[in-house]
Amino acid sequence: MSIYTRRRITNGVVMSLSVAATAFGLLWLVLVLWTLLENGIAAITPALFSQMTPPPGSAGGLLNAIFGSVVMTFIATLVGTPTGILAGTFLAEYSRGSRFGEVVRFINDILLSAPSIIVGLFVYEVMVVRMGHFSAWAGSMALAIIVIPVVVRTTEDMLNLVPNALREAAAALGSPKWKVIIMVSYRAAIQGMVTGVMLAVARIAGETAPLLFTALNNQFWSTNLNAPMANLPVVIFQFAMSPYADWQVLAWGGALLITLTVLCLNIGARALASWSTFKQ
Amino acid sequence: MAADIALQRVAGARGRGGAVGDFLFHHLTFLFALLVLLILGGVIVALVEGALPALRTFGIGFLFSDVWNPVTEKFGALAPIYGTLVTSAIAMLVGIPVAFGVAVFITEICPIWLKRPLATMIELLAAIPSIIYGIWGLFVFAPFVQQYIQPNLIDSLGQIPGFGALFAGPPLGIGVLTAGFILAIMVLPFISSIMRDVFETVPAILKESAYGLGATRSEVVRQIVLPYTRIGVVGGIMLGLGRALGETMAVTFVLGHAHRISISILQPGTTISASLANEFTEAVGDLYLSSLIALGFILFVITFIVLAIAKLMLLRLQRRAGG
Amino acid sequence: MSPPQSAARLAMPVVPSDADVRDPELMPAQKAVLRNVDFFYDSFRALKNISLPLHDKRVTAFIGPSGCGKSTLLRILNRIYELYPGQRATGEVLVDGENILAPGLDLNLLRAKIGMVFQKPTPFPMSIYDNIAFGIRLYERLTRPELDDRIEAALRRAALWDEVKDKLRQSGLGLSGGQQQRLCIARAVAVEPEILLLDEPASALDPLSTQRIEELIAELKDDYCIAIVTHNMQQAARSSDYTAFMYLGELIEFDETERIFTHPKQKQTEDYITGRFG
Repeated sequence: MSIYTRRRITNGVVMSLSVAATAFGLLWLVLVLWTLLENGIAAITPALFSQMTPPPGSAGGLLNAIFGSVVMTFIATLVGTPTGILAGTFLAEYSRGSRFGEVVRFINDILLSAPSIIVGLFVYEVMVVRMGHFSAWAGSMALAIIVIPVVVRTTEDMLNLVPNALREAAAALGSPKWKVIIMVSYRAAIQGMVTGVMLAVARIAGETAPLLFTALNNQFWSTNLNAPMANLPVVIFQFAMSPYADWQVLAWGGALLITLTVLCLNIGARALASWSTFKQ
Repeated sequence: MAADIALQRVAGARGRGGAVGDFLFHHLTFLFALLVLLILGGVIVALVEGALPALRTFGIGFLFSDVWNPVTEKFGALAPIYGTLVTSAIAMLVGIPVAFGVAVFITEICPIWLKRPLATMIELLAAIPSIIYGIWGLFVFAPFVQQYIQPNLIDSLGQIPGFGALFAGPPLGIGVLTAGFILAIMVLPFISSIMRDVFETVPAILKESAYGLGATRSEVVRQIVLPYTRIGVVGGIMLGLGRALGETMAVTFVLGHAHRISISILQPGTTISASLANEFTEAVGDLYLSSLIALGFILFVITFIVLAIAKLMLLRLQRRAGG
Repeated sequence: MSPPQSAARLAMPVVPSDADVRDPELMPAQKAVLRNVDFFYDSFRALKNISLPLHDKRVTAFIGPSGCGKSTLLRILNRIYELYPGQRATGEVLVDGENILAPGLDLNLLRAKIGMVFQKPTPFPMSIYDNIAFGIRLYERLTRPELDDRIEAALRRAALWDEVKDKLRQSGLGLSGGQQQRLCIARAVAVEPEILLLDEPASALDPLSTQRIEELIAELKDDYCIAIVTHNMQQAARSSDYTAFMYLGELIEFDETERIFTHPKQKQTEDYITGRFG
């Protein structure tokens, strides 16, 4: 039975490699999170949340950057969510089997994975060049363009899970289709759609590349959406690449903040999705 | 197209009262769906428009020149293109086998109670923003590579005649290899979660018949699961590749930003996205800026093709599984 | 529910009633014996205290309404259920005197010895030739001509050779449903198992293909111990030597097929075979 012995050994080796690969993958998650905590905790001080980004060599915080990130993420979500939901509604409710729907779906999926720095270039060309200066509006629009495909995709997927019988039951009562969608389909799919929005927010909360040439950065407190605005990712980029120890500490603090936010949003979204009314 | 939509509208309308509302809502959603296409169209138009001055000045030679000199205003895309391809190749070389192992573990070996948590943890790797990988790579991983990995590579593989040129030079920590490795960690969750999904499409009865003949797990994976899901697996790999090609922040931190082509993968280099991130806001002169936008356009074309192929392959598998 | 047993008959424990009275010399050998087998899906008890023999070179049919546990019973015999967590069997299944439910048993070897054909045809995504070679290559290193011979023999055995001999290199997925199912039978036979488990092998096929499969079963029983699950009573009556009627996870009656269909002892059996069932 020498063939059989060899087969068993092969199987053992392959299976061990598979276990090792999984351990290897998890190792990085643990390592990254560990170093983040180790370096970031020290930077989490009251000053981090109450002072502005400092010039090199002096102490400070990240208040203006945190504010800028929150504002731009908020505007991007505000713009991107309704857009994504309506487009996703079209795909799920009006375009079943149509050629146009297929093309939109295909392009949307490509936008979903397209390099975010390209989005930054696009918004630079369309807004920054036309307006003549960098601005928080441009940053928000760049982020909104990243939100849209995520929301389109989840909205369509979630609406597709709503049983047709529900729609038919509502339509049989004489309800026009748009009311069926809003009163029945949306209501049935709401958890999944919220999940999608949360994932989209998580995605843009840490996006750096599209902000580099749109919102730029701002060392000072600014609430003017028509001017450059500080934001966490770009500040982290600038501070981490600098030779100044103070700046590097702040960069770690910002990195920890972003990661915690993103992980909480992700885990929250997943938890919400698992309570979803309709499962696949 | 218009006739289609009109027909659907008539079919969808119920009663006179609802007809107007239906018409409005239908067209509202249609406009927003159209917007998705317009964004893509806008991206293409904006990039081409921005890239035109550079393309007009340098012509097709832009693709094949490795000169990048802001002072003399001579620009060529070869070095960033080369760096983009090489870092992505390293990422795939490392990432694919690991992603495959993870997918096999989760679908075939792992006890059921561990499946969900494990899959979630791997997917959280994808959720971590790329700038975090960048800062971690710069401060933690690159020094580690410099101290422990690169000296060994130089002393062993670097000594092989010919082939050793790939591992020549001083151990700097940052460089093409380090960037490729970090990319591998970043694309791992994308590839493995798609592989997992397509592995799940293999009918249980098919696997049972192989097990029923006395096949081992590894034989079932290699001879039944893989052939059955080949298209989907390749699609997942292409999707990961699309991500790797366009990834910006993680590589920008650890690449060292050198506009040149080194044979040695231990040396600094640049990629399209890293060049953009590093130089765009500091670029003076229209030709410089236009050359950078032209780089962006090249990146867009490459990733668009890769992602389109990925999507088409996954669609094919989906159709087969559906019918 | 189990028939009364005396200690003296433990070696041949559960062939019930009149079957015992006749001359034991004429009785076929018992290839496998199930003793007090229970089966659980997590905490749900899907099989309750099943005991019966499977005779060598005979066909044993399992009939009963869907959900009665007949397929589950078949899946115990090669322990294919172990692919799924939360499923477990207790009791004893003796194959040639060895308890295959014992822990530590090598499942791959067990499954090589006990072939299985499933409800739907399951050609592997490879050529017809490689489909058959798959199982053979697992256990034997053969030269090309030897392998060719084995594959031809297996395909002839499954009455498929004449239809596919010119397209052995084509995908198994290109065959018709009936051909695919015979390919699966050929694949199972090619590894030279001792027991063949057929789980509703004809339920997805047209009447003509069903007939061919039944003819095939009749030929194969000269060499194998065959257990077949079917929801089709005519099929059971036509092609089996013994029949077990199961209901709600219990074995209601086991006897020679002729007796089951002419003189069932249990009221439930009679109701089922005469179609007066729920």
